[in-house]
Parts: sequence; structure tokens; C-alpha cells
Amino acid sequence: MPADPKMKFLVVDDFSTMRRIVRNLLKELGFTNVDEAEDGAIALQKLQTGGFEFVVTDWNMPNMDGLTLLQTIRSTPNLKHLPVLMITAEAKKENIIAAAQAGASGYIVKPFTAGTLSEKLNKIFEKMGLA
Amino acid sequence: MSDFAGMEDLLQDFLQEATDLLSDVDNKLVDLEKVPDDRGLLNDIFRGFHTIKGGAGFLSATELVTLCHLTENLFDLLRNGELPLTSDLMDIIMAATKGVREMFGELGQGVQPHPADADLITRLQGALRGEVGGAEPQAQVESAPPVVEISPQPASVGAAAGEPDWIEMHAAVTGVPVASPAPTVEYVEPKSAPTPAPVSGNGKAVAPAGRVEESPAVYGRRASDRPGGQTAPVGRRVEERARENTIRVDTARLDQVLNLSGEIGLTKNRLTSLRADILAGRDDPETLHALDQAVSQLDLLVSDLQNSVMKTRMQPIGRLFQKYPRIARDLARQLGKDVELVLAGEETEVDKTMIEDLSDPLIHLIRNAVDHGVEGPTERQAAGKPAKSLVRLEARQEGDHIVIIVADDGRGMSAERIRAKAVDKGLITEEEANTLDERQSLNLIFLPGFSTKSEISDVSGRGVGMDVVKTNIQKLNGYIDIRSEPGKGSVFIISLPLTLAILPVLLVLLGDQPFALPLSMVREILPIERDKLQEVGGKETLVVRGEILPVIPLSRLLGWPLVKAPEYGVFMQTAERTFILGVDSFAGRDDAVIKSLEDFRPRGVAGVTTLSNGQIVLILDIKELLADVGQHPDERNVRSIEFA
Repeated sequence: MPADPKMKFLVVDDFSTMRRIVRNLLKELGFTNVDEAEDGAIALQKLQTGGFEFVVTDWNMPNMDGLTLLQTIRSTPNLKHLPVLMITAEAKKENIIAAAQAGASGYIVKPFTAGTLSEKLNKIFEKMGLA
Repeated sequence: MSDFAGMEDLLQDFLQEATDLLSDVDNKLVDLEKVPDDRGLLNDIFRGFHTIKGGAGFLSATELVTLCHLTENLFDLLRNGELPLTSDLMDIIMAATKGVREMFGELGQGVQPHPADADLITRLQGALRGEVGGAEPQAQVESAPPVVEISPQPASVGAAAGEPDWIEMHAAVTGVPVASPAPTVEYVEPKSAPTPAPVSGNGKAVAPAGRVEESPAVYGRRASDRPGGQTAPVGRRVEERARENTIRVDTARLDQVLNLSGEIGLTKNRLTSLRADILAGRDDPETLHALDQAVSQLDLLVSDLQNSVMKTRMQPIGRLFQKYPRIARDLARQLGKDVELVLAGEETEVDKTMIEDLSDPLIHLIRNAVDHGVEGPTERQAAGKPAKSLVRLEARQEGDHIVIIVADDGRGMSAERIRAKAVDKGLITEEEANTLDERQSLNLIFLPGFSTKSEISDVSGRGVGMDVVKTNIQKLNGYIDIRSEPGKGSVFIISLPLTLAILPVLLVLLGDQPFALPLSMVREILPIERDKLQEVGGKETLVVRGEILPVIPLSRLLGWPLVKAPEYGVFMQTAERTFILGVDSFAGRDDAVIKSLEDFRPRGVAGVTTLSNGQIVLILDIKELLADVGQHPDERNVRSIEFA
């Protein structure tokens, strides 16, 4: 595992089953330092407390959706460097473009396996120079 | 054999959460009928199906994904104002929701859902193309502009969306070469669907078709692994849903349990050390005082712990209530009535087991209210009432009881008519009918075989029902009562104990043998003075505040010989009858922790409990004992409970 297994993840999804799935997949890849948030607003609060190194977020959520979360992260000085992996159920081009424009580090379509997730994470780690 | 080997936990989690979500969607659909263009509601419902789809994907539940996907797309058009919400469309949506629920049923049985009804899929696809009977195809989806949620029309991205340019974009973002998930591939259609829907008309194609083959194991299984759907002997309708055997508990409550266990541990240590002291011969006042304190503290902590553990089983009754507006709506529509089910007190907490067992009785009462209780719009207007009728479902805690109310503003019930009907049906005699007061008359509807409508409707009147409702409520140690005012409406009041785990009991003695009676049935305790006893029809009775009550010695209920005349009477009130139970003496009251006698349960015994001195006491099931006495008036035939 090239990246630090202690890396702290924040998994954002309003569906707790999905948070658990992502958490389990991350665990399979060796990342056990995972916290969860139910929507973008709660995620931002948690992020502000510091210590997070990676955000995996769903797109479609109440209160604050994943795209807004991403945009907010990118426009917040102390958070903007954070890698953000977007999860959605769709491979819609509009979504992907919007995610890219907002500065997503990666994009993954449900359902996915640990293998696919690992691939996406490694791509991001490479870009960050961690690999 | 489960189709979900190795992922049962995930399946359980998904089902629990998704079922809640779907109930929420159901309620929002009912609301949506009132405000068809509420963007917020449309958005929420869209997200509901979207979320279920996402979760279902991880379970490889392809058919569920397909159905949710089509429905979600429909809501996407609705929320963007590209389709008007017609009543035909609403019917399709309701059918789709029902389909999703049925698939949850199949998942609950551990089987991959069968494809949705082919006709439903066709209708959904038609609706997506704007072809709904009755609706003007005002928005031709085919030619509609691509739906873009956030519209950053990408000047900076180079070519406009739709140009092949974006595939590079995709590659750039995902880091995946262009070859991989080709995003405009037609969505996987169920084999039963006759036409491949041009869903992608507006660029909304989703999970690439190649995906199933490409990703060898989505959480350990692939969709094609499943034992060819047809072999499973499961019908489309899965009637019996396995009981949920998991529970979601607020972590704060678990922490409290943990905390109390810790404190009990500390107190136990204190007691151990005190025991050592005492065994070593220390019996000075300080040691004894410390012992007294430690025991008192343990007492307090254990009762706190009991309460806390009980609370972990408590769930807000709203989880049950939220199923009902949809049921009421569907039924009202079927009957051509305008009914609104109003919920109140959803946050009231009830024992989980009780919530499950309340489901059927409440459905029955609500159906009954909609079907028999409220009038049709014409009749209501003739009576000067608003055309829309209200049915209220309310829960609240009153002391150590939970009260659930089902009230309607319908035609009410006439005690006179009910009595006549009961006599007509031969359930009671004319003479019996004449002695009944208003309340007793209304309670006749709980008799087996009673149905107020002469012709039986297929909705709620199959002649069985109200008596089953009552039996089910009684099984929960509760009781049900009715109030009704002709022309104004009827109210059904269910009263339940807070929990089934702990039962407050009255301990009575027969000779020196103690028995426990559920305290909920006990009204008062009175001495039996021999000279006040009156014989009526060969039976002993006692007049209490003008009411003539039969005196039944406990020994007779148990089939024991009557050794001496009972000295005390317990004024008992069960759902059917009020009487005085004759006993020798009392041993106080207690909070019994019921141990059920699962395999060996003698008639008339509800369970056992242990007293503080270690003695085992039977908790009597008075209703069963009474029934036996009723059936066999000859005492020699009464089944007796033998003791070794």
C-alpha cells in the first residue's frame, strides 16, 4: 500500500448503508481511519475540526449536496488542497463535467468494487505525489 | 439458500434503511397529490429512488435497480417541469412504488427480486417518452434539451456538452482511459421488457451495460451468479416478511447501559470486599452501614439498568405510522372517498415487539374507518359536513401506558343498530341486548362474526376482523375501547403497557402458594364479608357501589378444592368481564420479569417470575382460566393445574 494506511478519510452520504459499504471497502484496502457525515453541511463542520486527509462524497444528498460540498471545499483556504472523490449512481456527462469544473479529484460510479476504488484512489495518490 | 451469502448484514442494513426511505417516499407521494408541482417534494422523491437504486447496485439487485432507475428518471422530468403530473402518471408511480416494496419483500427472503411487472416497465418507459394516456404529450422528451442539474455550460471546457470532447474530460477526471465505462450505453433492460426504451434520449443513460460483465465481483457476487430466477419457488407477492431481528439504537442509550454496567461492577466489588470483612468477623455498625448503603445503591443501579435496557428496545411509533397514509389514500381512492389520514405523536416510543404486533390491528382499524366509518362525499355534503373526511391516528404516553387512538369524523355508530344486528345474527339474545348500556353495545362489534354492513365489502368486511383486532391487542396485555357519536364519528382507543418485558403484578396467596396477577387488570382490593354476599342464580355475588359482581374463588379457576372461603376479593376487569376474584391473602406487588414457558405452557399460565426470596411464582392468564370455567361450568371438568 503506497499511501499511509493511517490516512484519515471522511465518507459523506445520507444513506447509512452506503457509508458502511464505502467504509468496508476502504477497510479492505487497508484504510481504517474513517469518519462519516450525513450530508455536505455536517461534512464541512467535521472537516473544519481538522485532521482529515481525504473526502469521499456522494453527490445527491439533502441539505448540502456533494457538488456544493466540493465547491465549498475548493473555495475554503484551509481545505482546498483536500482530495475529493465523488461517488454517484450515474455516469452522466453533465455530472462529470460539473465535477471536473468544481475540482473533483476523481469520480466513481456505483456500484463499484474494492478493486475499482483502489484504482481511483491510486490515481489520485499519484497526482498528489504520494504513490 | 440465500442469494446473498456473505452479505446478509449488508442486506439487512439496506432493507431496514431502504424500507424507511420508501415509506417516506410513500407519504411524500400522498402529499404530492395535494401539491403536484411542489419542487421540494419532487426532489425528495427523486432522491429517494436514486438512493435506493445506489444501494441496490451493491447488492447486484439488477431488477430493483432497473425499476428505481426508470422511476427516478420520471421524477427527474417531473421536477424539471418537463412532464405534468397527471393522475394517470400518479397511478404508474404508485404501481412502481408498490413494485419496489414487493422487491424488498423478496430481498427480505434472501432472494434476488424477479423482474418487475412487464406492463409496469412498459408504462414507465411510455411515460418517460411523454406517452401517458390522458396527458397531452406536451413535453416531447425526445426533443427536450438535455437535463443539466447545474448548468455550467462549459465555455472553458471547449466544445459544448454533447460533443465527443467530454469523453476526454471524463478521462481526465477519472483517470480512466476512454475505452472504459462508456457512459451512453443503453441501460440494462429486463428481458421481459418488450422494447428497449430510448431512455437515453436526453443523455440520461446510466450504469453502462458492460458493467455487470466487467466488474467480476460487486461485493463478492455477480448478478449472473444467481440461481436462475425461475427456480425459486417464490411468487411475485411475498406475503410473509421475515421479522426484523435487528434494531437501531441511539448510541447515547447504549452508552448509558455501558455506564450503568460499569457502576454495578464497582458496587459489586464493594460488596465483595464487605463480604470478606464480615466473614472475617467484622460486624461493627460502620461495616453494616456500608453494607446497607452498597445494597441500596445496587438496587437503584439495577433498576436504572433495567430501564435503560428497556429503552434500547423502544422505537418511535412513527416508523409504523408512516405506512398508513398511503394505505388510507389507496383505499379511499378505490372507494371514491376523499379521506386524509392525520398523524400525531409519531415520536411516542413503544417496545419494538409491540410495534410489529400492532401493525395488523392498526391497518384493520384504519381500513375500517375509511371503509365503514366515513361517508362518501355526497352523503357528507348532505349532512352539512366538509366533503373531505379526516381520520386521525394518534399515539401518546399516559403514565405507564401508551394510548393509541384511531378517530374518524364519519357517521358514527348507533348502539341501537348494533344491538339489533347482534340479535339478528344470533350473537346475543333479545334479553341480553336489553341489559346492555351504550358502551357495552358498541363493544358488541368485537364479537366474532359481527360486521355492521349487511353486504360484505371486499375491503375490510370479511366478517373476521374486529374480534381479531381485539385478540391481538389483548395478547399485548392491552385493551381497546370505543366511543362513538352518531353523525359525528367514532373513536377507537387502544391502551397498552409500556413494555412487555416487565409486568407489574399483584401477588396473591392461596393457602401459602403465591400467584401473580397482571396489575393492569386489578381495579381494587376489598375484604369479602360473608354477610354481604348475595346469591344470584345460584352464584355468589357482591355489590360494589351499586354494581353486582360475581365472586369467583381463585381455587375454582385453578380447579383446586375450596379449602376455606376466600377472605379477600380482587376487583378484576378484563376486556370481557368484570368480577371479583376470591383469594386467601396478599403478598404485595412486584415488577415481574416474565420468563415465558416457550415449550411447556400449561393453559392459564402466562409465564413465571422469580421472587426476591428465590421462589418461583406463576403469572396467571386470567382470560384463559375464565374461558375454561365458562366452557365447563361443571367444576369437575375444569382443567386443573397440578403442582408437584
